Amino acid sequence: MKNALHRMNPSVKFLAITICMFTMAFFFDPWTPLVFWAGVLVLQFFFSEINWKRWLLFMLPFFVTSFGYFWTTLVFAEDSSGSVVWSIWNLQITETQLNHALSLSFRVLAFSSLSLLFALTTNPVTFILSLMQQLRLSPKIAYGVMVGYQFLPVLKDEFVQIGQAHRLRGAGGEKNTLQRLLGVRRILIPMLAGAVRKAERAAFAMEARGFTGERRSSYFRVISMGKLDIALVSLFLFLLVLSCTHIWWLG
Amino acid sequence: MLKSWKLKEIVLMSLFAVVFGIVYLLFLHVGNIWAGFIGPIAYEWIFGIWFIVSIICMYIIRKPGAAVVSETIAAAIEVLLGNAVGPRLILSGIVQGLGAEAVFAATRYKRFDLWVLMLAGVGSSIFSFVYGYFLGGFSVYSTGYVALMLGIRILSGAMIAGIGGKAVADGLLATGSLRGYAISRSKKGEARA
Repeated sequence: MKNALHRMNPSVKFLAITICMFTMAFFFDPWTPLVFWAGVLVLQFFFSEINWKRWLLFMLPFFVTSFGYFWTTLVFAEDSSGSVVWSIWNLQITETQLNHALSLSFRVLAFSSLSLLFALTTNPVTFILSLMQQLRLSPKIAYGVMVGYQFLPVLKDEFVQIGQAHRLRGAGGEKNTLQRLLGVRRILIPMLAGAVRKAERAAFAMEARGFTGERRSSYFRVISMGKLDIALVSLFLFLLVLSCTHIWWLG
Repeated sequence: MLKSWKLKEIVLMSLFAVVFGIVYLLFLHVGNIWAGFIGPIAYEWIFGIWFIVSIICMYIIRKPGAAVVSETIAAAIEVLLGNAVGPRLILSGIVQGLGAEAVFAATRYKRFDLWVLMLAGVGSSIFSFVYGYFLGGFSVYSTGYVALMLGIRILSGAMIAGIGGKAVADGLLATGSLRGYAISRSKKGEARA
């Protein structure tokens, strides 16, 4: 049971998370995203085996972002009705503003932990295969994406090599940030040119081995859906309903 | 739609998506850090970089769907790279790609001048802003602030994605590696290295 989220069908997980996020976007009170965030953490705690240190590392930037949302909402909020609860300098912060600010920053946290739940429990290749088998993604695109994914380490090496080649010839080494940003073009073009050649070669090799891009009736790796998916989706939906109806049970 | 596509064009988009996926992630981290200090407006001025792959791919391949498919693949690759923003990116990729696609579709995939590419960047900006407005809850902000955000994003889309995208693709064309794609067929008659 501990690895239930890892075994869940990736497409189903993807759809469940998407539905949750779009529903949350309609709520502007602080409690809905807060309850939902807590629920996501509970789900992740009981049904996944992840490295929590890594989780925290990924979450840190989002805490910063959510703080940014918090104070900008306080300063730039449209609706400034309600009683004043707080005043700094000549800024009057009303209850509505505070609620909106808290809501948006909790929303950032809820969305990012939901996304992390997906990212940390899903195998990328299984996700693409599942998109192809369950959501009818074209095999041409699915395998095309996987080719790109396989080339990632090659392209990373190439990035380093091109940088080294430039340095060997005395190019690069700008101190100025703007110059360095413009210098990216010098690395980008050789990399893209290499990518074009690799793409041609890979596509040719695939076609030479009989890949037509047509849909198959059977697959070597079958990604299935089962009772587990139904159970977990109902858990997600239960959590969603719980957080959206908090008005009734929190009072 | 995909019937007329060659496999090499799809793999090309996928590899471009990997290259730009790395670039996108870099910018996302920069944006995230900035956002802590100056709020969601931090993403706006660099937003154009996220539209660049759809414009480059459409400029090179010139087939219906090149913008939206490439942007979606780029988003999917970003997710595969183990990105914390996760599946949400795929949806925003589709939305951004549709924005650029709409502009190219309006010209019936016949014109690929600089102004069309810039407009495509603007299209992506507007589509992605509407999406962000809904999901990010921008409606609580004052109208002036939202208008400022939209303005910066449109500018960024036109400059970085439109002008920058054309510059990268033209540079690539000059290397001669794009023989066999629509972009080099259309430039016949011009002297090219």
